[in-house]
Amino acid sequence: MKRRGKFPWFAYLVVILGGVAMVMPFLDMVMSSFKGPGEYGVIPYKLLPSSFNLDNYREAFSQLELLRLFRNSVIVTVSVTISVLVTSSMAGYALAKLRFRGRAVIFRFILATMMLPPFLLLIPTFLIMLNWPLAGGNDILGRGGDGGLTTSLIALILPFAVSGFGIFLMRQFMVSLPDEMLEAAKIDGANQWQTWRLIVLPQTKPVAITLGLITFIGTWNEYIWTLLISSSDPSLQTLPVGIQLLQSFLDPDRTMPIVMAGLVISTLPVLVVFLLFQKYYVRGVVLSGLK
Amino acid sequence: MTTAVSGVGALAAPARRVGKLHREGLAAYLFLSPALLFFCVFLILPFIFAIVLAFSDWGGFDLSTLKWAGFSNFGDVLSFDGTFVKPILVNTLLFAFGSVFLATFGSVLVAYCIDRLSFQGFWRVLYFLPVVATVVAIGNVWKMMYQPAGLINAVLNKLGVNSVGFLSDSSYALPSVTVVHAWASIGGAVLILTAGLKAIPEMYYEAAEVDGANSWHMFWSITLPLLRPALLFVLITQFIGGLQSFALIIVMTGDGGPVNATNVAAFEMYQRAFKFGAWGTASAMAMVLFVIILAITLLQLWIARRRGEETS
Repeated sequence: MKRRGKFPWFAYLVVILGGVAMVMPFLDMVMSSFKGPGEYGVIPYKLLPSSFNLDNYREAFSQLELLRLFRNSVIVTVSVTISVLVTSSMAGYALAKLRFRGRAVIFRFILATMMLPPFLLLIPTFLIMLNWPLAGGNDILGRGGDGGLTTSLIALILPFAVSGFGIFLMRQFMVSLPDEMLEAAKIDGANQWQTWRLIVLPQTKPVAITLGLITFIGTWNEYIWTLLISSSDPSLQTLPVGIQLLQSFLDPDRTMPIVMAGLVISTLPVLVVFLLFQKYYVRGVVLSGLK
Repeated sequence: MTTAVSGVGALAAPARRVGKLHREGLAAYLFLSPALLFFCVFLILPFIFAIVLAFSDWGGFDLSTLKWAGFSNFGDVLSFDGTFVKPILVNTLLFAFGSVFLATFGSVLVAYCIDRLSFQGFWRVLYFLPVVATVVAIGNVWKMMYQPAGLINAVLNKLGVNSVGFLSDSSYALPSVTVVHAWASIGGAVLILTAGLKAIPEMYYEAAEVDGANSWHMFWSITLPLLRPALLFVLITQFIGGLQSFALIIVMTGDGGPVNATNVAAFEMYQRAFKFGAWGTASAMAMVLFVIILAITLLQLWIARRRGEETS
């Protein structure tokens, strides 16, 4: 720790003032979620609600259909996270520890995949999902159906199932695993699959937690693609999209307080997961900064 | 592989090695197959499709009606009579430059200060909260705070300033969403800059202290130059993010209003494509934005390299 100079009062001032600016919106969110009819949107502004009852939370569950949204969010987030973890560690293992023709080219290709911004692929990916062969009533050429793959939760999972960043992260970590360990497994008669499954996977736990966490939080909060897919089929809405779109159907006297209650509920799972594993998350962000 | 006669043994060894490598190659491609298959369908194919669409005239969903249109989409998009160049592209650049400037300035200051305090982990988590929250939470809370009866106007009124229509006044709307975007991206930058700060050897500061430098001097002549790699990474990633992000704008303004005041390129592309089905024009917009992002990224790398040569 660098302790230069006298008591760093200036540093304290900056960090605390900034910290207030960081926390204030969240405090306002929580406080507003308890405000009753006639308490929200009035002048003079009051931060504190008159009472801390859970009416808005009850309304959020019934009017925002939080349980349905929650279920979709959990299914999508868990599926994407598992898929990214498995595919990244498989591809990462091949790139880190196996010798084969084309390895350098493929690794460079994986790096390049991270350079393509998502908005560029938004339109074509949507059209591909819509015209997916033999799905949603489409024929073998992807024509004729109504919706292709866009009518099920698969549409929210499949385009995120593999991550170039994940492969890169796994590969970088696995390169540092000692070769002797893998040689020993081979001498004991393990094939490549067994070596990966029984020797390599258990070693990658720290980086797997980092990647899992980054993927979990990113998927839970994903907005644009889900908004697009669920615009024709509201049953596919996840928490962020559902809460945003169902606002207009709420009791107009209490719209924002109910929305805030919904947002508190939808933010809690990620917040808890983040606080539990924040060391891993922090390391992941830092690692991604050092590529 | 049990009986290798003396003469054949010399040849058999490399042959066996090739066989082993071959099997290893097969295994490698099996391990890679899910990822490679995915990238073919969800990266290469859409990328080619995106380029084709930008040069074609197509509406609806029937591929057989797709017509080659040359550069006409780009002509339409980039014509100064339209809305895309001005105000939309101008907004995009203002939004990106504004939020990158605020977030970078803020995160350098905060990271430098946190590095001198106790409970560093606590502070860093605090600044990281907005990165964990969904854009819907951030957008709605700030929208609420910006309202006439919201927290920010209440504070302004206390200070004797009249209420401001942050999101309804077209001259305040873009700066207002820019501030929120910067606010939300400080935390990630603080983490990366902190890693950069920790990598600066303590002895440089000790030597400077012996020479009688104050902390302001140390910041300018030690911290900032040695922080350059981390700073460059932060700048580049923030620019790439700022130029293409529009989720916050959808949540806060709904349609990029008032009257296009907060409309940005990626959002306009989204609207043209999915509201009007104009795949060609929308894809041309995407291409233009992609080229701008690429150009700004390369420019930053180039400047950083030149600066690096000057000082070393």
